[in-house]
Amino acid sequence: MLTLKDVSFHYGKEGPEILRHIDLSFGRGEFVAVTGRNGSGKTTITRLLTGLEKPSSGAVLYGGQDVTAEDAAARSRFIGYVFQQPDRQMFMPTVREEVGFGPYQQGLRGAELRETVDEAMKQADVYRFADEYPRTLSRGDQQRIAIASALAMHTEYIVLDEPTSGQDGREKKRLSALMTKMKDAGITVILVTHDMDIVAGECTRAVVIADHSVAFDGPPEELFASGRPEAWGLACPASVRLGHALPGRPYCKDMAAFCEMYRKVRGMK
Amino acid sequence: MMTKLVPITKILLTGGTAVWALVLHRPEALAVLMGAELLLLLAAGQLFKNGKAVVMLGIFAFFLGLIEYVGGGAAEECVVAALRMMDMTLLFIYLLGTTRLQDLTASMVQQMKIPYEYAFMFTAGLRFIPDFIEENRAVAEAQACRGLAMEGNFFKKIHRYMSIVRPLMLRSLGRSETMALSLELRGFGGGRRTFMDSVAPKGMDYLFFAVIVLVTAAVVYGRLALGL
Repeated sequence: MLTLKDVSFHYGKEGPEILRHIDLSFGRGEFVAVTGRNGSGKTTITRLLTGLEKPSSGAVLYGGQDVTAEDAAARSRFIGYVFQQPDRQMFMPTVREEVGFGPYQQGLRGAELRETVDEAMKQADVYRFADEYPRTLSRGDQQRIAIASALAMHTEYIVLDEPTSGQDGREKKRLSALMTKMKDAGITVILVTHDMDIVAGECTRAVVIADHSVAFDGPPEELFASGRPEAWGLACPASVRLGHALPGRPYCKDMAAFCEMYRKVRGMK
Repeated sequence: MMTKLVPITKILLTGGTAVWALVLHRPEALAVLMGAELLLLLAAGQLFKNGKAVVMLGIFAFFLGLIEYVGGGAAEECVVAALRMMDMTLLFIYLLGTTRLQDLTASMVQQMKIPYEYAFMFTAGLRFIPDFIEENRAVAEAQACRGLAMEGNFFKKIHRYMSIVRPLMLRSLGRSETMALSLELRGFGGGRRTFMDSVAPKGMDYLFFAVIVLVTAAVVYGRLALGL
């Protein structure tokens, strides 16, 4: 369990308050969306989890141990971060070496390193690019290489910052499928996003940050049934809105679910 | 008052103090000059705002003096080298802290008659520094999340820092290319250029011109006649 315990945060000594008394826990194998308006502090939450920022007050606990004082490099043993711009971390001449950088830092060598890297590349579906130069690949491929880099470190938690922004529908689907696969493998996926289609369709839990604190924490179904997402600057996905227009207001997490429900309501096969 | 001077006055003042620092060679005189520059920074509201930069310059000056001492220089020569370095650079904080870069460019083009391309290159270079620092921080964070710790002895740190330098350089080259494209698409380098704001000197600026000339003459006289 990774926990933020009564965490508050502001930049500098007299900077504006960003987060106030946040209590959040992330369990094993969850697929959590952290969402909210621009500047609400959702990225700050993930930066606090990874050790890129230190809380002004409160503590960060991992497995009950206080890891607040640990920096990002130390916390990389259990949490990985995929940045919005993955080329910030890429510098190796091949994808294989790029993915191997993290485990090499952890001390893996030889056959063990090779096997770990190959496995991670296969999981993230980038094995075919193994000998290519990562910076010349598309942004979607680079995102998946960055995910493979985190997987190669046998991370328990992975934070993805807006991975689907600027991606076409096909790439978005591939990334969603990969995130679901990671969740099924027991990795906790923490997704910072404005993409409500993914929140409704894939996530098991949604956390909304508003007014410096946690405004909502629960299943996406409850979030969209509450009728409050608009008040927090979040759009309700088309499938959910269409579902609410059907008799009994069923929750349709995606268009496939809506079509199925529509046929059922209309008595179609 | 110090912040309202036009860029050319600030440039002349910065250049003037550099000349004075080169002409003066007594530690006492250079210390007085440094005191005057610090007062000027204080009057312009830049001393505490850029306290870190002033301290860094002080540390650099100290090491410059130390290197001179290790190289066999006399104590007074070391102090002079350190003070001279401080005197020549302190007012750049005032110049850059109180002048908009577009005004600096306008002044270089209109009054100093420097071709616009060169003036732009200079100010673009200055603007690049904070961007580069921010990019360095972002890349360092990305690598820290992959387990890169800046630990160990000096050589290990240098070796590890290469993991930051390489993506930093590659991204910087990418940014330069984007900037070049952006400039070209907006007609950079074509035809005569005009500027929105006037950077022409006013009454107070002419007074400062006179003061700079008089002080320069006094400093040269003091050096030649009084050995300051």
